[in-house]
Amino acid sequence: MERLRHLSVLVMVMAVLFAAEVFAAEPLRLAIPLPLTGGQAKFGEMMKRSYEMAAEEINAKGGVRGRKLALEFEDSSAKPEIARAIVEKLIDVKKQPIIIGEYTSACAKAVAAVAEERKTPYVVVASAADEITQQKYKYVFRMNPPNAHYSDGLMSYFKEVVKPATMAIIYESSDFGSSSAKDMVKNAERAGIRVLVNEKYEKGAVDFRPILSKVKAANPDVIFMVSYVMDAALLMRQIKELRVDARLFAGGAAGFDIPEFVDNAKDAAEYVVTATLWTPQLTFKGAREYAAKFKSKYGDFPSYHGASAYATVYVVKDALERAKNLTPDEIRAALKATKMETAFGPVQFADKEGFQNQNFTDTYVRQVIKGEHETIWPAAYATQKYIFPIPKWRERR
Amino acid sequence: MTAPQVEVLLQTLIAGLLLGGLYALIGIGMTLIMGVMKIINLAHGELMMVAMFIAYWLFTLLQIDPYVSVFIAAPVLFVIGVLLQKFLITPVLKVDSILPENQVILTVGIGMVLSNLATLLFKSDYRSVSVEYASQAWYLTDYWKDAPIELSLSFAWAVSFLIALVITAVLWFFLTKTDTGKSVRATAQDLHAALLMGVNVNRMRMLSFGIGAGLVGAAGCLFIPIYYLYPALGGQFTLIAFVITILGGLGSTVGAIIGGVILGIFESMTATYVGMGWAPVGRFVIFVAALIFLPGGVASLLRKRRVGK
Repeated sequence: MERLRHLSVLVMVMAVLFAAEVFAAEPLRLAIPLPLTGGQAKFGEMMKRSYEMAAEEINAKGGVRGRKLALEFEDSSAKPEIARAIVEKLIDVKKQPIIIGEYTSACAKAVAAVAEERKTPYVVVASAADEITQQKYKYVFRMNPPNAHYSDGLMSYFKEVVKPATMAIIYESSDFGSSSAKDMVKNAERAGIRVLVNEKYEKGAVDFRPILSKVKAANPDVIFMVSYVMDAALLMRQIKELRVDARLFAGGAAGFDIPEFVDNAKDAAEYVVTATLWTPQLTFKGAREYAAKFKSKYGDFPSYHGASAYATVYVVKDALERAKNLTPDEIRAALKATKMETAFGPVQFADKEGFQNQNFTDTYVRQVIKGEHETIWPAAYATQKYIFPIPKWRERR
Repeated sequence: MTAPQVEVLLQTLIAGLLLGGLYALIGIGMTLIMGVMKIINLAHGELMMVAMFIAYWLFTLLQIDPYVSVFIAAPVLFVIGVLLQKFLITPVLKVDSILPENQVILTVGIGMVLSNLATLLFKSDYRSVSVEYASQAWYLTDYWKDAPIELSLSFAWAVSFLIALVITAVLWFFLTKTDTGKSVRATAQDLHAALLMGVNVNRMRMLSFGIGAGLVGAAGCLFIPIYYLYPALGGQFTLIAFVITILGGLGSTVGAIIGGVILGIFESMTATYVGMGWAPVGRFVIFVAALIFLPGGVASLLRKRRVGK
């Protein structure tokens, strides 16, 4: 009897110990909202793959605080109200102490508002609209530079190489599009470039010819376009068809910067340049390895969206390991003190120029040369010499 | 007017006319169903989406050109239309319900089922067929060396437009010259009289729903080389068809053609001279204006002219 009691106590102790053991190895669950269906699914898919890649690497090296990182993905199909509902659930029900993810600016805005309200840190991965980090939010951090800086590299290319006097701007009437166009108007003013046409269009437009004829008649030196992927291809195809000649066709990242653009626009994509935040040819520690790994696994090089997602996982790991404990406030404090090198470039969340917790990195220019996106600017990072001037449509074969 | 201005105007008109021709083809199907069934088919755009997926897969898997797919997708859509009518709409027609227009609500449901099925099966990715001639065009200066202006005509758009014209002409011939076509029109004009004259009204309904679906299926195949495809694209084309149906006058095929062209040209003009962002607004301005000032649509004008003669 006595022995039985001893035994049962022993079993109890064992059970408790065993439970504690299991608990220590309990994985760190991190659910990420992103668009896996809908018009932005291409971007969401690339980010999901990059998140997973980073998590695998981290887990292979022992995880975060000795715990495995277990990622889950929640599809918001690029709808702000769904993104908002997902994040409310993650914070209120699942008690997740940190949020990362989302893609479109509209969704990131919605998530940022929830995160700030619930005092939970949120790291924005690739959403551009300036105002996301201009709201005096304490808990919202951004990996990628804001829209106001997207075109820094492009503007220097204009200044040094193209030297345009006039410009036309065509943009999608989304948060991202309007924000980009506004910043481009400011940039143009500063550079002394006259904006002849500044037009927005509704997503899903079938026919850009009317507006393109107008642009053609205005004859600008540069045509600057801000679109997601299908519109970008459609615009270039119709520009080719109308033979709208300009000294330069420039895209404002997003749809112009992913491999699908060339797949859909085919030869009409040739010589188009785009502003970008990262390229697979950069020499940051781990950048080329990530790009090569991604390409061998999925057949295409990733764009900045993927690189930023990949690096964000490392930034989060670094912050979680430096945080005293895993409460939202401690994690926030740790994020604020981040100073590290990633595949996306150096990361540091600064408060300047009216932005809070904003990471500032260089931006670059890529050009489609022989059907491939090549880094052409700034010259220090170039993998190929830029092609300028570009041939007129008539002369192209 | 200076040469560049003339060029912009003409190029806009060309774009509007081509777009209008395709719009007309989308609108005719709806108008035909409207005339015979007295219901607005709000699954119209989704039927077009189904046809676009058929054309897309035929191209991707078997390299069949979308223009050839017209002859495959349109019959398939015809059958789908007949089946929808027979097994879903007819039973609902017979039931007394609280809402007099419950068949319309049924079509909304059909549309939702179709677009969500497409999302399930094909994810909501954007897709496009990359045909060789996607951005080929004819240029005025190629034929007239020292033309003062340069005009271009997109190969794909022009072909789509021409096929749309041919299909419309065949439809017109069918409705005016054949017995079956006349029976369809009789059913549309007066159901009871047609019944008394021995027209099989139920068959005519199935036929007209099938033809309506087949027409929009053809339109889908014509759209795919010049546009792209995703499961949720039906809604915007349903709206366009609806505007055209109202503008053309309910049930009038000729009205639908004129309505489609008016809408296309109006949208292009708005895009050029007001702003591209205003094109959808322009669409609804026309819609409201038609409802207020021309309740019978273009068809009522046509009838007045005829009476005048």
